[in-house]
Amino acid sequence: MGENGMKNSDIKICILRIEGTNCEDEMYYSFERLGAKPELVHLKQLIKRKNLFDYHCLMIPGGFSTGDYVRAGAIFAALIKSRLVKEIKKFVEEGYPVGGVCNGFQVLVELGLLPGFDRKMNVEAVLTINDSNRFECRPTLLKHENNGNSVFTKKIKKGKILMLPSAHAEGKFLFPKNREKKYLKRLIDNDQIVFRYVNEKGECAGYPWNPNGSFYNIAGICNPEGNVFGMMPHPERVFYRWQHPDWTRTNLKNLDGDGKVVFESVLEYIRKRF
Amino acid sequence: MGYFHEINLKDANDERLMQISKEYGIALNLDEMKKIKDYFLGKKRNPTNVELQSIGQAWSEHCCYKSSKAILKEFVFGIDNGRVISREDAGVVGFDEKHAYALRIESHNHPSAVEPYGGAATGIGGIVRDILCMGCQPVALVDPLFFGNLDIEYKKLPKGVKHPKYLFSGVVSGIRDYGNRIGIPTVSGCVYFDKNYVGNPLVNVGCVGIGKKENITRSAVKKIGDLLVLVGGKTGRDGIHGVTFASEILTEKSEDESRTAVQLGDPIMKEPLIHACLECVEKKLLNGMKDLGGGGLSCVVGEMALAAGFGAEVELDKVPLKEKGLKPWEIWVSESQERMMLAVDEKNLEPVLNIFKGWDVPAVVVGKVIPGKVVRLFYQKAKVFDMDLGFLTEGPVYCRSRAMKKRRKKEKTPNKPNDYNRVILRLLSSANIASKEWVIRQYDHEVKGNTVIKTLQGKIDSVTHADASVIKPLEKSFRGLAISVASAPFFASIDPLKGGKSVIDEVCRNLVSVGARPHSLTDCLNFGNPEKPEVMYDFYETVKGMGEICSYLNLPIPSGNVSFYNETEKGSIPPTPVVLGVGIVDDIRTCVTVDLKKEGNPLYLIGETKNEMGGSAYYRLVKGYSNYVPDVDNKKLKKSMGSLLNAMKKGYVAACHDVSDGSLGVCLSEMCIGGNIGTILDISRINNLRTDIKLFSESNTRWVVEVKKENEKSFVNEMRNIKLSKIGKVKGENLIIRDKKEIINLPVDKIKKEWGQTLWGRMG
Repeated sequence: MGENGMKNSDIKICILRIEGTNCEDEMYYSFERLGAKPELVHLKQLIKRKNLFDYHCLMIPGGFSTGDYVRAGAIFAALIKSRLVKEIKKFVEEGYPVGGVCNGFQVLVELGLLPGFDRKMNVEAVLTINDSNRFECRPTLLKHENNGNSVFTKKIKKGKILMLPSAHAEGKFLFPKNREKKYLKRLIDNDQIVFRYVNEKGECAGYPWNPNGSFYNIAGICNPEGNVFGMMPHPERVFYRWQHPDWTRTNLKNLDGDGKVVFESVLEYIRKRF
Repeated sequence: MGYFHEINLKDANDERLMQISKEYGIALNLDEMKKIKDYFLGKKRNPTNVELQSIGQAWSEHCCYKSSKAILKEFVFGIDNGRVISREDAGVVGFDEKHAYALRIESHNHPSAVEPYGGAATGIGGIVRDILCMGCQPVALVDPLFFGNLDIEYKKLPKGVKHPKYLFSGVVSGIRDYGNRIGIPTVSGCVYFDKNYVGNPLVNVGCVGIGKKENITRSAVKKIGDLLVLVGGKTGRDGIHGVTFASEILTEKSEDESRTAVQLGDPIMKEPLIHACLECVEKKLLNGMKDLGGGGLSCVVGEMALAAGFGAEVELDKVPLKEKGLKPWEIWVSESQERMMLAVDEKNLEPVLNIFKGWDVPAVVVGKVIPGKVVRLFYQKAKVFDMDLGFLTEGPVYCRSRAMKKRRKKEKTPNKPNDYNRVILRLLSSANIASKEWVIRQYDHEVKGNTVIKTLQGKIDSVTHADASVIKPLEKSFRGLAISVASAPFFASIDPLKGGKSVIDEVCRNLVSVGARPHSLTDCLNFGNPEKPEVMYDFYETVKGMGEICSYLNLPIPSGNVSFYNETEKGSIPPTPVVLGVGIVDDIRTCVTVDLKKEGNPLYLIGETKNEMGGSAYYRLVKGYSNYVPDVDNKKLKKSMGSLLNAMKKGYVAACHDVSDGSLGVCLSEMCIGGNIGTILDISRINNLRTDIKLFSESNTRWVVEVKKENEKSFVNEMRNIKLSKIGKVKGENLIIRDKKEIINLPVDKIKKEWGQTLWGRMG
């Protein structure tokens, strides 16, 4: 359809929450600051009263949905699966963007939307307990490795390093051991790898640069089509430069934080596509 | 026995009265029991067990502050800078034209000693409700913690006492799992270790919130006919006698006898509860709101009604229960978590219930407001309780006797050290000074994205402790709330008056270090058994010292908490005043951090260094002793803060750190660690004191400042009325300090390693 004059202010974002979601406000502001129309929607409302297709984008924010007492994101994913699976599948197939951050990433993996190799929503990966066996709240450096497939990071140059904060206890991305190599090849071939944890030199290094022990230092991936995206670190927490941990070490001439471009990218994609 | 029964006080002699107090677990003394007996003799009847239990809660030290009220009134209650809006469950103070912030700190010491994980978690739960019930969104948590020394041998632990490592680990996990789940950043705190906390650890929890002034909610009903709506969690047998448990000393039997006094937390009930309550506030549907904390329903109903000059009737059968078979008295005093009481006009009931339904949070009308200051309870239509609120809530007030402890000991000045490198490394690796990264990284300190000055500061792979954190609570304003805590148990145990002054000085210094103007405080005063005159003396002197400085600075303390009975049969904790300070930053973009920034920048010491070694980390390390602990000159404090804040506002300051635990040597090391860069310093011009005194004195009202080279002249001019010593510059990769000759020369990497390893090594 191409650019048809759609403005950011025409774009409606569904920010989905249930009890225990707790990063919805910063997600909301990240879109609102760019002029888009975000809305906080409780899962119950989406099931009973609202229509997913009233929105151009679905975001699942961070938190501890329903307490994460079983496994991070598992119950939220099960609730979506039981009541909304058809809508979400169709939403994704029609090219609408779906993003998950932290707990949201865990939900998308539990739902089988990521890595989403075969479009059948089979669960092919897991985000499990950090190697340190602890909640880790620390700034992390991420290298953008995507060649242009991911609609959430299209505006970021390949190889650019961003500082985005991590805060999770279950962020270690893993494939089943016997399929590790095969699946990694598919990720690479499909251009599904988006962010990897690196050190200041841009090299993959161990803990704490990789805060959780993730396989292949994976911090964020997208589906083969590029419109479903999940990452553990929090772009919505660094929309502005003064939200960075080291901003007092530089001047504040550029007010943009490293996370802003993620939201700009997806809005640009929506403007062009719909 | 049925649901309730009568207790025969009429015929009880003194011995029997005390027996009854014990049997019913209400921890009241003989005079108090006699007062109750007289009251019911006047009514020509005996109390029911529900009534007696209720008095036991209301008159506990924890609820009615019977030992501390008179002293707090004398020294701190009156301070008001004209910006205090409310002094109820939390203090509320003006933030800007349209907004106010709420602040409160309290203790959860005894529950955490018995069950560290649950005790600490429910401590967070409770303090969050205190902020919420003012109509404010909680925006920051703080956690000052005090434990026994981590290296104590198991066989040296008194019977029934848990190992400090177990307690430390459990408490941090409890705070982490609850705080992180409800999505409120934990931005500040402190951890102290000392052998005097072995039997009685301290877990203090503080919270700061923000709200619109027009939405500030009272902890009171409004009018006759208001409905009392109980919302949130169900009521169970957890947390029965929490407040009476907190008003007794701990014994080896506490574990068995008082386990049920510890509540169970449920953060995933709390999180939607916060949303639902704030939605009601935003839509102006509430006449009043108060949280159910100590004493449960028995305290909240009476206090809310009496605050408006009315009474209340409650039907206990309406209260949603976790399990069947709770007796009326248990329902009335249970301290089950995640509950709030709303006072709602009948016409607003439906919209209120709908909001709670939308979040799947239970909400039930349990009673209503009636004329006359009385509370009546019904259970299965039978009246089980009928009491005057005046008698019930106006608990006794004591002026307990005070006696100074024989504490002056002989001065013991240590020999001058031969190897300063070794001393400073030992100080840096001591548990009280060492890096607390092990704790801090487990707390989400930046959820919500408003933490603009973080708990750990510096380069990504080389961070140091912040003096204060700063929250930017409003989307459309650059105004910030700086948050910090301070305590001074080592000073206060030698000289409680100066300890009280020092704790205020330190919290002010911390706030000023990031560029914030100290604005208000909330305090948690942890002491031993107030029935002991020497404990009361310490309490009196500490509060007096705090009050003296706060009055001079016009710094109000609109909320707080007193925790007595922090002792075991082996003895009391040191006097431990804890202060949570809130400062205002006009524009967060002018904030300053601890980490050194740029090679070549000059370094200055602000303030006077004196021979005040009492309680210092250095003397504790080298086994010296002095009765002279740091004093505060309030005029100098005020002047220094004013000048330094001006210099920061004008952008002259690149880094700033207050000089406190471990003193100048430690302060400089921490600044080097954050910037991962060295310094070359000469302290010979500070004064003529012994080198080790200059380097390790903990004199108050001092900061080390890195000044931007290009602004050096303007900075010196701005500080012209303050004692200022140029001590060196940022340079190289080593911390180098000279005092006529070189005394310290250490690679920053080495310092970082020593400072960084201690807690990781002990806690894993």
